[in-house]
Amino acid sequence: MTTALPLDGVRVADFTWVGAGPFLTKPLADHGADVIKIESRTRTDPIRWMAPFRDGEPGPDRSGYFANRNSSKRSICLDLKHPEGRRIALELIARSDVVANNYTPGTMDRLGLGYETVRRRTPEIIYLEMPMQGVSGPHRDFRGYGLTIAAAGGLLGLSGYPDRPPVGTGTNYPDHVPNPLHGAIAVLAALRNRRRTGRGEYIELAQLESTVNAIGPALLAAAAGHSTERMANDDPIAAPHGVYPCVGDDEWCAIGVFTDQHWKALTDVLEAPALARRPEYANPDGRRNARRELDTLLATETVAWNADTLAAALADRGVPAAPVRDAEGVLHHDPQLRARDHWVRLDHPVMGPSVYDGIPYRLSETPGRLRSPAPLLGADSRAVCVDLLGMSDAAYEDLAHEGVVG
Amino acid sequence: MTDPNRCRGPLDDVRVVDLTTSLGAYTGRLLSDLGAEVIRVEPVTERPERHRPPLSQSGLSLNWAFMEAGKRIVSEADVDVASVIGTADLLLTSEGPAALSARGLHPGDTTQRNPALVHVSISPYGLTGPYADRPASDLTLLAAGGLLALAGDPDREPVRAWGDQTAVIAGTHAATAALIALLSLESTGRGQVVDLSAQEAVAHSLENAVQYLDLEGSVRRRAGAGPVEAGTGLFRCADGWVYLVGGLGGRPLAWPALVNWLLDQGIAEAETLLGPQWQERSWRRSSEASRIFRSIFERAARSGTKQELYEAGQSRGVSIAPVATPADLLASPQLTERGFFVPISVDGEQLLCPGPPYRFAGAPVGPRSGEPAVAAGAEPRRSGTPEHERTRA
Repeated sequence: MTTALPLDGVRVADFTWVGAGPFLTKPLADHGADVIKIESRTRTDPIRWMAPFRDGEPGPDRSGYFANRNSSKRSICLDLKHPEGRRIALELIARSDVVANNYTPGTMDRLGLGYETVRRRTPEIIYLEMPMQGVSGPHRDFRGYGLTIAAAGGLLGLSGYPDRPPVGTGTNYPDHVPNPLHGAIAVLAALRNRRRTGRGEYIELAQLESTVNAIGPALLAAAAGHSTERMANDDPIAAPHGVYPCVGDDEWCAIGVFTDQHWKALTDVLEAPALARRPEYANPDGRRNARRELDTLLATETVAWNADTLAAALADRGVPAAPVRDAEGVLHHDPQLRARDHWVRLDHPVMGPSVYDGIPYRLSETPGRLRSPAPLLGADSRAVCVDLLGMSDAAYEDLAHEGVVG
Repeated sequence: MTDPNRCRGPLDDVRVVDLTTSLGAYTGRLLSDLGAEVIRVEPVTERPERHRPPLSQSGLSLNWAFMEAGKRIVSEADVDVASVIGTADLLLTSEGPAALSARGLHPGDTTQRNPALVHVSISPYGLTGPYADRPASDLTLLAAGGLLALAGDPDREPVRAWGDQTAVIAGTHAATAALIALLSLESTGRGQVVDLSAQEAVAHSLENAVQYLDLEGSVRRRAGAGPVEAGTGLFRCADGWVYLVGGLGGRPLAWPALVNWLLDQGIAEAETLLGPQWQERSWRRSSEASRIFRSIFERAARSGTKQELYEAGQSRGVSIAPVATPADLLASPQLTERGFFVPISVDGEQLLCPGPPYRFAGAPVGPRSGEPAVAAGAEPRRSGTPEHERTRA
């Protein structure tokens, strides 16, 4: 396919690394932006060394964790501490529309690539930083790894069973949802504004603030004096509401009963007329008051069902229901994801054919696509320096020999 | 009244018609924060979203108040929906194809009638495929997309992330897609359909779980609050939990600083943590090492609050964070000094609301009004008449 992509002509000088930043530039790259990752050979992106690896064998070009968030991008290696490396970076920025980084505050300034420096030469640049706490405030230099943002941002403490310590989402959720996608939204809005006004923009995305925004209703509730607690799978309105065991090892069906019609349909499908006749379950308040008892009663019925069969039977009757899919389920056994061709297999030069997350939306006239697998470390150094920046082959060879590029 | 000095957001002069359910409501909120005019058309029948607890003093859902802040609310009874759509750049819906067709809102029809319209269709499973019209909720979409299976303790059922996170997951992807389509619209004049599947958006947030299966043949299971590693995880303190990262991938992180911090608090047993085995991956990953570390660290932590431990640990270079509650966040010195929370009016009640996820140096961004005011009707496009009733927070 060679359809024009909607972000053709947009170039991103991408200094982001590890988790959230690369997932921000990925949708831009998959929709046509020329996203050039600026990497280091001596201090490689830590996520290039994070599992899973092709066949379990570690290597900087073997990580699926890295690959999945870096489709459709190019990679150059620069020694940013060398004056020539910095000069090349500024040249690249001058030919770019967007600069993105997720270093700790002050790092880009120390490298001579801070916003004020860049703006003097490239005033129309859109420059995004995504520090953990923000570039100001008493905690600006606090550091964190892993679940730090989910903990400090409130989501971890709210997610889990009321009778146990919190468990969160089991993933680094802020790195995969709010932080990168809020960042992509901000960059796109700034691009739109620049097309109308000619003005560049400086965007600061504090990962803490982005994460707190994702649980905004809990903050508004706290401000109104309500205390919000962990509530496992309970819902403020629906009951029964939860996951119920089905046939097999660790198989579950998620079910939500929001209305009396849902309740009637559920008891019909489960062939449990005795439940349907109980007056205390006849209305939402009654079912909510009896929800623990109902959970137990329902589990004794669902355990005889296959999760897919039960979900289909309930969905046919209008009840929200779905099997709890694990990675095997979403990759191999979900008819809907298969019908939508969600997963994409790209042939990576080192990893071979490997699975990438598809784009969760399709634009009917200007669809994006995963154009290429993740770049090998420094794969595009020569092309960017020579073809884009106009460096001579000889000059490139000299700099490569010195270890400044390549 | 038009204010010539009005600061313009980056989406100034973009009109959005929002006909979403709770699944799609966050998308319009994000666009409104960025300066778009978002007209929320409510059905004539009462909407359950307005009454979903917790409630404001006046009985308005605080979830609804957050998602609708800054939008202009009109009733379907007071406007001709088709005409309002005809004035819009973007139309937002969040139901499946059959439900949309029943309302005359199938994207094929809306975009045929309005060639310069971008119809952003957020739906549980997308507009095509065998499940396209299946009923869904936040919980069932987390299940169908694979995120629910990763969350929870191994000996208990999989457990949901707090709040309607599918609205955030689908909403952030939808806003991204909407802006890509808007750029295309403004350069070509051509509208289109954006077909977003919330199930696929959830499946896009599984970290590395699908790649683990593809590359190493293993299926990731729920593992509580994280992998077992001495020095890393949740620890009890005087008023809750802190999250400490004293090691990652079997390697210690800022270990001397952590041990010295414990010794300085008079925890003599911390000496043992200086032994050579605490540098070894296999020992650090043993449950015995976790147990020993926990008993030593919690002895020190039990007299400190989350905030005290956070500031004391960080000042020594230790990666530690509070497991913050919403009330902790409202009192956070960092968020307070940065002026993150902004007052909004919810039915006349002044409440602090989280600010936007990002700050633009050159443009105003954030909740544009507090009170989602119910207005009589939509103004014709660019008529020079009211900037509408929204007041700046």
